[in-house]
Order: sequence, then C-alpha cells, then structure tokens
Amino acid sequence: MRDMRWINIGLYVVLMVALVLWLGAGKPFKITGMFITSGLAVGSLYALGGIGIIVLYRATGVLNFSGGAAGAAGAMTAWQISEWGWAQPVAWIACLLVSLVTTLIYGRWIASKLAWRETVVKAVATLGFALILLGLVSFIWIDDPRSISLPTDKVGISMLGLRVTGTRLLVVVASVLLVFGIHQFLVRTRIGLQMRALADDRSLSALLGIPILKVETIAWGISGLIAGFTGLMFADLIRLEPVVITFMVIPAIAAAITGKLENLGVVLIGGLSMGVIESMLTLSPTLKGARPIAPFVIAAVVLLWYQRGARLTFNTKD
Amino acid sequence: MRRSLFHVTPSGASGFVFAGVCFLILPSFLGSYWLSVFTSAACFALAAFGVAFMYARLGMVSLAQVGLMGVGGWIHLRLNYLFEWPFEVNLVIAALATMVFGWLLALPALRMRGLYLALVTLMAAGGLEILFATYQFPNGGEGFWGVKTGSFSPFRGPVIAQSAESYLRYVVAVCFLGFLIVEAHRRLAPGRAWAMIRRSEAAAMAVGVNVTLYKTWAFGIAGLLAGIAGGLLAGSLGLLDDGTFRSSESVLLFALAVVGGARFWLGAVITAVLYRILPALLNTWGVDPDIAYMIFGAGLLHAVITAPDGIGGQLYGLAALMRTKFGTRGVK
Repeated sequence: MRDMRWINIGLYVVLMVALVLWLGAGKPFKITGMFITSGLAVGSLYALGGIGIIVLYRATGVLNFSGGAAGAAGAMTAWQISEWGWAQPVAWIACLLVSLVTTLIYGRWIASKLAWRETVVKAVATLGFALILLGLVSFIWIDDPRSISLPTDKVGISMLGLRVTGTRLLVVVASVLLVFGIHQFLVRTRIGLQMRALADDRSLSALLGIPILKVETIAWGISGLIAGFTGLMFADLIRLEPVVITFMVIPAIAAAITGKLENLGVVLIGGLSMGVIESMLTLSPTLKGARPIAPFVIAAVVLLWYQRGARLTFNTKD
Repeated sequence: MRRSLFHVTPSGASGFVFAGVCFLILPSFLGSYWLSVFTSAACFALAAFGVAFMYARLGMVSLAQVGLMGVGGWIHLRLNYLFEWPFEVNLVIAALATMVFGWLLALPALRMRGLYLALVTLMAAGGLEILFATYQFPNGGEGFWGVKTGSFSPFRGPVIAQSAESYLRYVVAVCFLGFLIVEAHRRLAPGRAWAMIRRSEAAAMAVGVNVTLYKTWAFGIAGLLAGIAGGLLAGSLGLLDDGTFRSSESVLLFALAVVGGARFWLGAVITAVLYRILPALLNTWGVDPDIAYMIFGAGLLHAVITAPDGIGGQLYGLAALMRTKFGTRGVK
C-alpha cells in the first residue's frame, strides 16, 4: 500500500513535468523560466490555502470555506493600517490577528454547536460564516481599486539569469517550511499527537480524555494564522479584492483534494504543480484564455484516479 | 397505488393555490423591471428545487447547480441561433443534454460519499465558470462558440408567450410542471428507493435497491431541472451573462436552499425570493447589497444550527401548531 502511494506520487510528478516540458517546448528558457517562477508563487498560495484547510479538517472534521474570507478581512485591515501611515509590521501583525480572531470566534463558539452534524453540513455552515465576513468586509471597504505592497517586492535575487522577487521566494519557501513544520509539530509534540488521535477517531479520543475543545481550538488557530498569511500574500501577489480572496478557497480546496484531504506533502506538490501548469498554459495559444481552469481539471483527474476500482462500500458508521 | 400518487396533501393544495396566484394575478401587477426579476426568480426556484430535493432525499450535495444552469442556457442559445426550431424543442434538448452532462460529471463521484460529491461538483462549477467567462454565451455570431461583439441577433421566445408578462406566466407554468415531476418521482419507486438509501445504503443494497442507479437518477433529475431553468433564463432576456454563473453563485444557491428548507416546495420558493428578489428589493431601497450577504450568511448559520428544515420547515411547523391549537374544521 505504501509503495503504491509513492508510485502514485512519482507518476503524478512525471506527468506534470512532461506537461510543463510539452507546454514550454520550443520556447526560450528565459520565457519558460519566468512563467515557471510566477506559477510556483501562485501554486504556493494554493498550497498554503490547502494546508490550512487540511490541518483543520483532519483535527476537527470541518472543511472550512471561510478561510479565504478571514484572509480577506486580514488583508483589508492591513491595507487600512498602512493607509493610516502606521509602520508596516503593525499592519502585518494586524492582518494575522484579525484572521486569527475571526477564525477562532467561529471555531470556538459556532463550530462546537455543530460537532454532531454530518461533514457536509459542517462545511456548509462555514460558508455561512464566509458570507457574513465577506458582506461585512465589502460593506466596510467599498469597491475600489486597492493594492498592497510588501518590502520584499523590491528585493530580489537572480537565479539562472532570472530575477525572482522576494515575495515570490517568500511564499514558496514559506509553504515548504510550513509543511515541514506542521509535520514535525504533529509527530513530535503532545498536542500534535492528540490532533492525530482526533483525526483517527473522535469518540475514542474523547474517551481517552483528550481535551477535544483545546486541541480543536489550537487547530482553528493554526488555520486562522495560515489564512491570514495567505490572504496577505495573495493581496500582494495577485489582487486585493475581498471577493477574489474569499473565493480563492475554491482552488485551495482543489489543492487539498490532491492530498486526499490528509497528506500535506502531496498538497504541496499538487498546489505547486497546479500553479505552474496554470501559468504555463499562457504559452499555449488555444488554451490561454481558459488557463485558470487548470486546478479544477487536475483535481478532478486526481480524484478519479484515487477512486479507480473503488466500489460502493460502507464505513462503520453506516 | 393510484390514489397515493394523486393524493393532494394540504401542502400540495397550498402549492396549487400559490402557483395559481403566481400564474394568474402576479404578472398583471408588475412593471418591466420586476417582471424580469420575478422571471429570473422563478427559474432559480426550479434550479433550487433540484439541489434541494437531492439534498433532502439523499443527503447528496451538488455545488454546481448554477453552473449546470449555464450549460442548459448555453445549449439553448446555441440551438436557437443554429436552427429554426421552436423554443420548446430547444428547451427540451437543452434540458436533456444538461442532464447527460450532469451525469458525466457526477457518475465517477456518485460512488464516493457525501463530501466528495460536493467537492467534485465544486471543481466542475469552478471549471464551468472559467469556460463561460472565456468563451461567453452565443449571441448569433459565427462558428462553434457563436459569439459576436457589439450587437446580438434576435432570440425566438415561445410562440404563446411573446410579451414579458406572458413569459413570466410561461415560466411559472413550466416550474410548476417541474415541481410535479419531482413530487411524482417521490411517490413512485424511485422515491421509495431514495428513502431507503437515505436511511442506510447498506440496507438498501441488501434489499436489492440499485444504489448507484437511483443516486444517478436523482442527480439526473437535478441536472434536468437545472437545464430547464437555464434555458428559461436564456429566454427571459434572450441573452446570458457569464457573471450569472460563477461558482460562488452555485455555492450560494445551495446554501440558500438549506436556508429556505430543502424538504418542501415552499423552501425552493423562499430560496428564489432570497436569491433574486431580496437583492432587487434592497437595490430599489438603496441599501448596500453587501447587507444581503450578511443576511444570507446569518440565515444559513441559523438554519444549520437551530432549524435543520429551514424557513420553510419553520412555517410548516407554525401551520401545524396553529392547526392543533385552534383545531381545524371541515375536510382535512
């Protein structure tokens, strides 16, 4: 079974590399390189979103649609604070705090009321929260072109003759470090152990005396922080618009699907490859217009692949 | 058997009355703006009924209903400019093609459990959104996509409903038929199979119910209703805009179907009122449309946490309470 998983991942990586080579065939390296680096940055955003979703989903069983909205609220706050002329770090911290607090409010007071409902219902409920947040944010900050820029936009390094801005590098490195860090956290700490226990079997964990509320609140907190960071980066790299950031959660879920909603490493690979393919499609004259479709097609194909040969079976709760 | 099929419940009777009011009285009172709002609301009521019944009967969540409406609308517009066929023929073909399209999307996912079907349909909605935004809806141009810029060719509405007023009547009548189709299914073999599957898939399978077939069937009906709704929506103005069919709209429609009450016809109507008429009202009152989002969100949380049957369920509960409290006279 374990071998099979590595074969799957290997197959996926080979396929993606082949696709990138095919799309980039006959183009000068400078151009393909440019698209790959920009794709990696976008892909990291998908992966970051997906990581936040999975950490929470595994620990609490809630598929959170409101992460994007929390990120949007954070990013808009950051914009407002820098508009007031405060120091940049204050704006960043405020972004993380707003996202953290909104997510915690939901996790601590609303999600716990729904703990006994089906997974789908829990997911739909987070959508309600996302709508409230989105409505509130769009109400406070009426539609207007805005932008946010981080000091990392101005620094950059040259790699293989390509200039990569600091922000792009930052998101890629952050997503890799985050996967590593969360993995270590889950494996080495007591809370991590308890989270894994919860992911495995909630009622048994409760019987064993695991403080479910505490562990869940920590998971909500982590996902809130990730959402805030992703929102800020998205605002800088792509667009600062509440609706767009809120619904960035959809490609993030696509990235999460590649990891079967459980494996963080695969989500990273999935997210990055989605970003790169999406960006490389710009080079194809026929598919250029429809390039944002890439994450969805990849996720759909991966889902099909995962469930090949599966039969309608029953879990123990049926 | 036949009696149970044609038996009219109090809820059904009120449905007949409501449809009658919408058909006979409502259109005469509306100005041109409100006629188009109500026509679009009626289309979305039909589509909402599709997702709602699937959710209530089988616990299946489709987050692509508005996307499927777009597919139905696209096919309808395409046929309209390609052939000289009457409106109804195009509508039926568009509806059936949407049903098949829905099957193709969902068939692989139907073997998976709840959450995964929702995710697959969400991916489909995301993909459709981008396709519509890229290729636009046909408006009489050349080629496969049939898009031209600037002007657009005239659209042939139904022969019996040329004015906006009669078109609203037409849409209400078609919606009513759609609701009846679903109700008939619920009362016949598929309905019994669905009830069994909802209870326990294992038990359903054990007594010989073809679980995959009946789940696919339900998804097909939802797709059919979406296709009809999309085709009717295309007929309302004779053109469609890709902004109508964003994936967020599909998600919102499902959410509102839960708020409205997925188990009742009234729920679908409430969904459509919240989705189309409330924003239009807020617009005419000069209220910020973002308020609508907050109302929807709060309504959704309220419905999910305290009222699993939604507003519709609460109204039915109220009616039942009134009946027991004050007693009913005459025939039930």
